[in-house]
Amino acid sequence: MTDPLALDPVLPVRERSERPWNLDLPHDERFAHFEAHVTAGGKIEATDWMPDEYRTAVLRFVEMHANSELMGVLPEREWIMRAPTLRRKLALTAKVQDEVGHAQLLYRVAEDLGKPREAMLEDLLAGKTKFHNVFHYPTRSWGDIGIIAWLVDAAAIVAQQALRDSSYAPYARTMQKICWEESVHIMHGRDVVVTLVSGTASQRALVQEALDRWWGPLMQMHGPRSDRSKDRDLHWRIKAKTSEELRQEFLTIYVPRIRELGLLIPDPDLRFDETAGEWRYTEPDWDELRSVVTGHGPKSQDRLEFRRLNRDETRWVRDTILAAPAVAA
Amino acid sequence: MTLSKVPSAAREAAAKLDAPRRDALAELLLTMADDEFVGGFMDSEWTGIAPILEEDVAMSSIAQDELGHAKALYELLAEVLDDGRDADAIAYDREPEAYRHARLLDLPRGDWADTIARRFLYELADEARLASIGTGYGPLADLVAKLRREERYHRMHVVAWVERLANGGRIARGRLEAALAVAAAVAPTVFTRLDGEPELLRAGILSRPLAAADAAWRVDLTRILVPLELALPPTIEHGPEGRAGHSDAFRWLWREFTSVRRSEVGAAW
Amino acid sequence: MTDQPPADRALEGGPAGTLEPYEVFRQEKEGGPMIHGGNVLAPDAVLAVHYAREMFGRRNESTRLWVVRRADVHVLDDPDLLDPPLDRSFKKPGGYVMRDKLAAARGKAGTSKPGARAAAHDTTGRRTGGEA
Repeated sequence: MTDPLALDPVLPVRERSERPWNLDLPHDERFAHFEAHVTAGGKIEATDWMPDEYRTAVLRFVEMHANSELMGVLPEREWIMRAPTLRRKLALTAKVQDEVGHAQLLYRVAEDLGKPREAMLEDLLAGKTKFHNVFHYPTRSWGDIGIIAWLVDAAAIVAQQALRDSSYAPYARTMQKICWEESVHIMHGRDVVVTLVSGTASQRALVQEALDRWWGPLMQMHGPRSDRSKDRDLHWRIKAKTSEELRQEFLTIYVPRIRELGLLIPDPDLRFDETAGEWRYTEPDWDELRSVVTGHGPKSQDRLEFRRLNRDETRWVRDTILAAPAVAA
Repeated sequence: MTLSKVPSAAREAAAKLDAPRRDALAELLLTMADDEFVGGFMDSEWTGIAPILEEDVAMSSIAQDELGHAKALYELLAEVLDDGRDADAIAYDREPEAYRHARLLDLPRGDWADTIARRFLYELADEARLASIGTGYGPLADLVAKLRREERYHRMHVVAWVERLANGGRIARGRLEAALAVAAAVAPTVFTRLDGEPELLRAGILSRPLAAADAAWRVDLTRILVPLELALPPTIEHGPEGRAGHSDAFRWLWREFTSVRRSEVGAAW
Repeated sequence: MTDQPPADRALEGGPAGTLEPYEVFRQEKEGGPMIHGGNVLAPDAVLAVHYAREMFGRRNESTRLWVVRRADVHVLDDPDLLDPPLDRSFKKPGGYVMRDKLAAARGKAGTSKPGARAAAHDTTGRRTGGEA
C-alpha cells in the first residue's frame, strides 16, 4: 500500500481542499470557510477543526440539554414507586430510564467537545450551569405524571425535532435517536391522561388540576421571543427555530388535543388569530422563568441537594471501578 | 376489573387440575411472582440515581425484566385461580401480610453493595428454582423457558459486579462482605418449603424438591465465591416464616406502591 | 492529533483513571451493515458490552453489536486522500457512457435493442454518466 504521506506533496498547499479543517490555512481564512460551510447547511464532526466560538456555543447548548435530561429524571422518578398498575409501572420506569439514557448520549456528545462528564456534573451541582425550567417544579399527583409525559415531553419534542438538522452532526444523530424514543413517552402520557379523564370525577379533577399548575411553566419553556438575526445558535445552525416558532408549533398541535378531552386551558386570552396566522396568549411570566432557571424554583435546591447526596453516596463505587479494572476481560 | 372469558391454553390446562393440585400450583406461582415483584420494585428505585449513567440504564432494564416476569407470572396465576381478579388486582390489592415473597426480598435497597449482594444471591437462587420447574403444567414450563433466557443477562451483570467489588480494594470489598453477610443469612428463604410441595412433585410441576434446588444453588455459589475468598451462606432451616412476617422496609414499600391505587379503589388507571 | 500522520490518527481516549469511551456499531437485521450507533463510557470491555446492549439494544433494535475501544479506532478523513480532485470516473460505472455509441453499433450491425430481460450488470444504456 502506498504510504499516505507520500501523496502529500502532490498538490500545492493552496490547491488542497478548502474545507475549513485544512490546517495549512491561516485562522481567519479557516474561520471564513467554516462559517460558509456551516451556514450553507454543512455538517461538522467531533474530530473536525472548529473555531472556539462554535465549540463553546455547541458545548453550552448540549450541556444544558444533558443537564435537563438528568434533572428531568427526578420529578417522575418519585412516582415510579406509586404507579398504580404493572403496565404503568413498567412504562414509567422505562421512560425515566430513557431520560437517563438521553443524559448519557448528550453528555457523551458534550464530552467529545472537550469537557469531561465529571466537570459537567460538578458545575451542574454547584449551580453554575442550568437545566430546563419545568424540572424545577414539584410533582404532586399521578395527574402530573400524565401531564408531564404528554405535554412537557411534547413541548420538548417540538424543540428536539428541530435539532435533528443541527450543524453539529453528532448532536443531530443523537437527536434522531432521542426523538424516536420520546415519541413513545408522549403516547404513554397521553394514554395516562385519556384514562384519567375517562375515569371518576376525582381522577378527572387530578388531570385538570395538574394542567392548571403546568400550563405556566409550559408556556415559558421555550423561552422569550428573540431576535433571529442576533441569535448565535441560529447563526451557527446549532438549532433551527426561534423560541416563538417552537411555542406556536406546540400550541398548534396540542391546544386542540387538550380541548378534545374537555380539559380547560387556564388562559382566557388564548386563541388563534386567523388573520395573523398565529396564536395569541397571555404573556408568560418571564420573571418567573428567569428566577426558576437560576435556581430559585420551588424544587430547584431540593433536587440539586438530592443529586449531591446521591453522588456522594455512590462515589465509592466509581472510585472502585476506576481504580481496579482488575477482572480479566 | 374482571377477566374476559376467552379460552386460553393456561385456563384450559388449569381446569383439568383437581383442587389440591390447583392450590399447590397457585401457591408456587404466587411465591415466584411476589419475589420478582418486590425485588423488581427495590431495584427500580435505582433508576435515575445509580453510580454511573450507563449502569443506571442497565440496572433499570433488569428491574423492568423482573417486573415483566412478575407480570407474566401473575397473569398465569390469574388464569389458574380464575376468580375474576386480573394480574394487577393480585399484585396490588392485598394487605402487606398476604405477600409471600421470601425474606431475602424484604431487605431495603441499601447502598450499591447491598443491592449487588441481594441481587447476586437472589439471581442464582432464582436460577436454581427455575431449573426445578418440571413439565407437569405446560404453560408454566413454557413461560420458564422464556424467563431463563432473560435471566442469563442478569447473571452475567451481577457476577461482573460481585467480582469488581470483591477485587476492588479494601473499601469496596468491606462493603460487599458486610452486605453479603446480612443478605446470606436470609437468602435460603427463597427455598422455603411450600405447603403444596409434595403435590407439585407428584404432578411433575416441580421436578425436584426446593431443598434440592437449595443444594444446587450452594454448588453454584461455591464456584463463584470460593475463588473470590468470600463466605458461603450459612445453612439455615427456615420454616413457613421464611415467607411471612415482613419487614418495615416492605411495609413502607407497600404503602408507597399502593397509594395511588388506594386513592380511588376499583378505578381504571 | 494534528501532529500524527493523517492516515493513522487514532481517536482520543480518556485520560488514565477515568471511564473510557467505547464506540458501538450496530446491525439492525441479519445481513445488514454494521452502522455506527454512538458510544458509551465504561471501565473495561466487559461492562462496555453490557452498556452497549443497554444504550443501543434495549428496544430490540439491534441484532448484533460491535464494541470497540475508541483508542483502537484509526481515522482517515483527509479529503486529499478520500476525495482527490483529479478525474477518477474510470473507477465508477457512471464513468462509462455509451448510449450513442451503442446505437451506432446497432445501426452498423443491423440489430435492434435487446429486451429488458437482458439488462443486468451494467447501465450502459444510460444517457448521462452519473455525477459529472
